[in-house]
Amino acid sequence: MSNKEHDVTRRQFLNYTLTGVGGFMAAGMLMPMVRFAVDPLLQNKKTGKMVSVVSVDELTDQPQRKTFKVKKVDGWHEFEEQKIAYVFKKKNGDIMALSPICTHLGCTVNWNDPAYPNEYHCPCHGGRYTKTGINIPGTPPPAPLHVYDMKVKDGTVYLGDAHPRGGA
Amino acid sequence: MLTKLYDWVDERLDITPMWRDLADHEVPEHVNPAYHFSAFVYCFGGLTFFTIVIQILSGMFLTMYYVPDINNAWDSVFYLQNKVAYGQIVRGMHHWGASLTIVMVFLHTLRVFFTGAYKKPRELNWIVGVLLFFIILGLGFTGYLLPWDMKALFATKVGLQIAASVPFIGNWIEVLLQGSDIVGAQTLARFFAIHVFFLPAALLGLLAAHFIMIRKQGISGPL
Amino acid sequence: MHRGKGMTFVGDSRIPKRGKFIPPKDYSEYPGKTEAFLPNFLLKEWMVGAVFLIGFLVLTVSEASPLEAEADPTKAGYIPLPDWYFLFLYQLLKYPYAAGDYKVIGIVILPGLAMIALLIAPWLDRGPERRAARRPIATGLMLLSLISIIYLTWESSVSHDWAKSEEQGKIVKKVDIDKSSEGYKIYSSQSCVNCHGENLEGKVGPALVGKNIPAQLVEKVAVNGIPPKMPPNAFKGSDKDLKTLAKFIEKVSKK
Repeated sequence: MSNKEHDVTRRQFLNYTLTGVGGFMAAGMLMPMVRFAVDPLLQNKKTGKMVSVVSVDELTDQPQRKTFKVKKVDGWHEFEEQKIAYVFKKKNGDIMALSPICTHLGCTVNWNDPAYPNEYHCPCHGGRYTKTGINIPGTPPPAPLHVYDMKVKDGTVYLGDAHPRGGA
Repeated sequence: MLTKLYDWVDERLDITPMWRDLADHEVPEHVNPAYHFSAFVYCFGGLTFFTIVIQILSGMFLTMYYVPDINNAWDSVFYLQNKVAYGQIVRGMHHWGASLTIVMVFLHTLRVFFTGAYKKPRELNWIVGVLLFFIILGLGFTGYLLPWDMKALFATKVGLQIAASVPFIGNWIEVLLQGSDIVGAQTLARFFAIHVFFLPAALLGLLAAHFIMIRKQGISGPL
Repeated sequence: MHRGKGMTFVGDSRIPKRGKFIPPKDYSEYPGKTEAFLPNFLLKEWMVGAVFLIGFLVLTVSEASPLEAEADPTKAGYIPLPDWYFLFLYQLLKYPYAAGDYKVIGIVILPGLAMIALLIAPWLDRGPERRAARRPIATGLMLLSLISIIYLTWESSVSHDWAKSEEQGKIVKKVDIDKSSEGYKIYSSQSCVNCHGENLEGKVGPALVGKNIPAQLVEKVAVNGIPPKMPPNAFKGSDKDLKTLAKFIEKVSKK
């Protein structure tokens, strides 16, 4: 500790090296672990397979509650997830399948409750939607009900994943 | 900015002496590998601590995927090792790190023994160190069961059989560790609890005591 | 006791200081090159740590940690093995004077004595001398235990059948086996099923799935056996059934 002026820079140098080596060790240890932990964020979302749900002949202009099962892989756990769709024919004849998950807080809505005829009604906070799933202004839901990917093949309706409607 | 924040805290809590005491204490030449290469034997203690830090961190991250349940334990380990990015490395850090910890703690114990550093006035710290050694062995034994693979199950069966043949209290120890009359669902749950909560808590407490005692008594002098 | 002026107390308390504490050596006045813990000495420690970490990470990347097949308590033939640092204890229990009637010696007395001796070592070896060479009894005893631990570990690892336990612990892929097929009916009506398992997954005998066993080999082994474990003439039936069985096993054993 004799050479004061020299000592200051030397000490600084030591401190920088120390920080560098310490940072290297921390990064070496934590980098694999953090990547390991954030893996779910970086996994590609798989689009679900289309599943046959109902035959076209059964459909009317009144929404019908249909359940169908989708194979789901959750890490090491594989199971069949039960999903619900309200399927009906629109005025122009197009088929529409709505997800009954309320866009407010995720409860399940019901069609045509005695108290709310010709509407979807959510029992949790009283959210309401029109027949085509448009949220009625003044009720809690911020967006229309999600719509399932849909295709018709050989007279059967196949459904995929539900998506929010663009621009609504 | 940082200096201001530091000064603000220092004004209120006077934290400078706490860390300055640690930072500025003089380290003698005989433990410094830069002056005597043979002094690397004094690094084993620090490296043991380093491996323990690795064990704690990697263990924390592993529990993000691991499930301590006989139906899912193996599947979750298989999944995290083979399907999750860097899973092999993180599990490897915990698996190989466990062996390394044992090696390092063993070498550290031998160093302290052969340099006679456990003699007066450091007897108490030696006892704490030996207890730490036993706790680390206990962590090794309980951790071995958790992947719930063949060797885990059968080695634990043998281990508990050994515990059971202790006279008088053997069966009592066996049932207490096993949680049931077979090595099964309840054993796994228990071993998980012991491995993840009880032993690490004891480990951290004793480690703190170990370090405080070193600081209080200083490093033993040269031979 | 010192009273009155100049009396010192412990901290803020009213307890007078007794001053029996053995103070640590003050190395700043010690001959030799001492240096401050931070940053000088810590930097050296961390450099050692960084080298250690690199080696460690290389190990974890290059060597996947082992995972055997999922635990199956019904596979009683499995030879258990503890982790390497318990091998010496495991080996100790194999010797006649530490097992059977004497197992108390192997399980309680020897390890217990070793543990207690280690715990109270500072009181067993009380002399002021610190050099290992100048306290031959302590050093000798420690070296003796060290050598016996190394020897026992080594003995245990050479006497263990590593190839067999690897075989027993292997992860066997689940194969869909058509249990209504002609071949499976023959397989399960013969003694094969008892040793090789209901799903050919192996039990007392080795697994048959995932092994690529050609039909001819099945025909040969089913008749001649593999000494010492598999008896000859395990198969009893017509040649036609044997052919069907062999074809069936060839098919399901494909990787």
